[in-house]
Amino acid sequence: MKKKEFIVITILLVISLGGIALYYIINATNQPLYVRVTSQGEVVTVLPLSEDHTETFYTPSGGYNTLTISNGKAKMTDADCPDKICVKTYPISSPGETIVCLPHKLVVEVVTGNS
Amino acid sequence: MNSKAYRLVILSLYVSMALILSYVESLIPLPLPIPGAKIGLPNIITLVSLLTLGWPLTLLVVVARVLLSGFLFGGGFSIVYSLGGGLLSLFVMALILHFTKDGFSLILTSIFGAISHNLGQVIVASIVVQTSSLMLYFLILMFLAIPTGLFIGITARELMRLLDKTTIFKRLNS
Repeated sequence: MKKKEFIVITILLVISLGGIALYYIINATNQPLYVRVTSQGEVVTVLPLSEDHTETFYTPSGGYNTLTISNGKAKMTDADCPDKICVKTYPISSPGETIVCLPHKLVVEVVTGNS
Repeated sequence: MNSKAYRLVILSLYVSMALILSYVESLIPLPLPIPGAKIGLPNIITLVSLLTLGWPLTLLVVVARVLLSGFLFGGGFSIVYSLGGGLLSLFVMALILHFTKDGFSLILTSIFGAISHNLGQVIVASIVVQTSSLMLYFLILMFLAIPTGLFIGITARELMRLLDKTTIFKRLNS
């Protein structure tokens, strides 16, 4: 590998890792966290991340997504979308983290109290 | 065989190889809980095609591969964001190859192609679900695109080195 390639790759690694770190630092907060569920671009519900809870959301076309909040983490536990990408997504617990179900146009994100 | 027919044969070979690589890729799930993270095997063909056929014909290869693999293996929905990623990636890689004619690096082209593929997918996803909060998701994908793009770039470079020893491409422009 040439020197030029090594330098560019290092810069890219620093940008992405630095960006991820910066994202967590900027969004770090001591305020209570909430889980905001958005369907078709509209907010459906906001749930506190501190309380264990399970809720199933239905899309206008009849599909469903089951969201489970436990131990301060939110995870999509079941869905009938074709790719099941949302179910495979890691549990989210920090502000700004998201779970997206593209086929159902459903977004689950962790937000702080005031936003 | 005239060069037009010859080019058509090479073009269809590229499409079928890219299609097979998409299928192979769908059989290898990455052990990561990050949706949308892929190795990007079909990009080997995109790179080779860009170097040998140029971007207008490569555009055909990419569109045909995305549409066919979407209908065959992916369920119709994945086509929309595969197309967003595939086209942006091709655009960026074609620009890099165009402006760095002699001193280009296939590895860097591949890495930037991988990153822009993720960017294209995230932009389409943001439009589809109408959210602007996918920035963190993109940064994670960008980080993962660096090793996968490096791997694809090295593979494409070695493949080109072998192909250049054959007479396959000598007849393309005759």
